[in-house]
Amino acid sequence: MVKLTPRQKNWIEGTGAHIGTASKKGMPTVIVVDKAIVENDSTIKFNLSSKQVELVLQNINENPRASLGPGGIGSIRAAYQFKGKASIKGNDLRIEVEEIYSTKPGPEAGLRLDNLDYNDILKFEASRWADDGPPR
Amino acid sequence: MKDALKIVGKGGAVVHLTTSSLDGNPNTVGERFISVFKDEYILIADMFAQKTRVNLNENHIGIITLAHPVNGRTWSFKGPAIILQEGLPSDYEFEGVKASEVLNEWGNWAEKEPPSEVPPDIRPPVLIQRGVITLKVNEITDYSPENAGNIIKTEI
Repeated sequence: MVKLTPRQKNWIEGTGAHIGTASKKGMPTVIVVDKAIVENDSTIKFNLSSKQVELVLQNINENPRASLGPGGIGSIRAAYQFKGKASIKGNDLRIEVEEIYSTKPGPEAGLRLDNLDYNDILKFEASRWADDGPPR
Repeated sequence: MKDALKIVGKGGAVVHLTTSSLDGNPNTVGERFISVFKDEYILIADMFAQKTRVNLNENHIGIITLAHPVNGRTWSFKGPAIILQEGLPSDYEFEGVKASEVLNEWGNWAEKEPPSEVPPDIRPPVLIQRGVITLKVNEITDYSPENAGNIIKTEI
């Protein structure tokens, strides 16, 4: 089971995310949400506007796969991509994270992190970034 | 609307690029090396974007969302996309643009636009570029929560 690190949680909760979904035939749709809450270490919850629900509901009903990266300056300072299974109840979108990747440009682009030992993920983060989340 | 595109390529901007496999596995990646080409195309340096490449090889569609600085520019750019790189036939064209034109200008991003303003802790140690992700903008929509999906402009 995937467990988000404190740094990953801080960035996602602090900056929200750009969230990609797609139809079964591969037509993507993106919504951008400013805030998020991480539940149970691996589920990210977003509260959507009605217009955002309209945009992604059909995709998620036919194909629950979703991808997301931190928004704002997190897009580059927190170079992660999270992938997982999306579900919608009312205006709440929940994504159960199943995969985490580094998106640092260069040799570590696409490096899968969630299959490392949790302590090794923490070491990876500490050796590459000086922050533990967005500026407060 | 040309101005909208130019802001995407302004120094310091950051975007997310979303692509999808043909069977609907989306991929969303933050991108820092961005420019606008001929007012209709957005270019991104391909620095070994692994899944983006796999997706664009089978499904030529992408969405670019502006991440920073936003300041009311909650814009999403959608259109056909591909990766252009050296080795393509000399007359290769994609959606009205010649690969050679794009590569002559942006094939060496580090030389054309050195990433001097990128802070050292997030700058790649060496800028190794494989090609240029090229998206022809066919549609611009708003992504703000209250107007999500509203078309700002089509057929630029």
